[in-house]
Amino acid sequence: MTYIPSADDLEVITREVWTTFLDGDPSGLVQAGSADAVDIGADAVTGCVHLSGGYVGSIMLRCSASVARDAAAALFSMSPAEVTHVEVVDALGELANMVGGNVKSMLPGPSTLSLPAVVQGQVAVPGAQVVREVALAWRGETLLVSLWQQAARAA
Amino acid sequence: MRILVVDDSKAMRLIVVRTLHLAGYEEHEIVQAADGREAVDVIGRQPPDLVLCDWNMPGMSGLELLTGLRNAGWQVPFGFVTSEASPQMREQALAAGAMFLIAKPFTPEDFQQALDPVLA
Repeated sequence: MTYIPSADDLEVITREVWTTFLDGDPSGLVQAGSADAVDIGADAVTGCVHLSGGYVGSIMLRCSASVARDAAAALFSMSPAEVTHVEVVDALGELANMVGGNVKSMLPGPSTLSLPAVVQGQVAVPGAQVVREVALAWRGETLLVSLWQQAARAA
Repeated sequence: MRILVVDDSKAMRLIVVRTLHLAGYEEHEIVQAADGREAVDVIGRQPPDLVLCDWNMPGMSGLELLTGLRNAGWQVPFGFVTSEASPQMREQALAAGAMFLIAKPFTPEDFQQALDPVLA
């Protein structure tokens, strides 16, 4: 039977990335209640990596522009005011890549991980659906982490 | 000693360099390349004592870079620093001639464990 990482797995992986590279504090990223109730707002930014092979789908990190800017500032050791669009794209892409790479290692393989993409707004993947999702809070704002799967293969 | 850090993400190159310093390798000269082709140029000009390379990069993957170096006769010590660390990837990396694979996120202790035997 195929194991699909749980919402708890997504949370543990994301917290490990955040703690190691952004905060150094495991309590910096906490659960934020039901992902269904989350509204990131109109200025959402999404970092995304796609998986193809034994598992076909995507891993996405969605947050507000201010969370993305703060995360970039933490990664680059800059003040948020100094962060440009280039740093935000690099940082959110690398965060999605790290979370995605670790999620991939729990999924059936062999699979290939795409290069990360970062877009303003929400990513729509035709034929895919969310199979796991967790809402986390960082510095009082929400970060949504989701695992998608092509509908044809969804359980 | 000269360490070449290869990653298309500037943020990750920065983190790798920071971690090298935290792990006690601040005395070494650290140079950077943003992709495989730039890495080949750097290695051609002045071979490093160690290459720390991302796996998944645009243009030339880390594995393609390593394979190209070995095919060209370069035996520079090479390790991967990557977000993917499945047993299959470790096997593939070692078979291609890598000395180790460090999974992201990593700690200074992970670096020491992998790099000390190479740089000692």
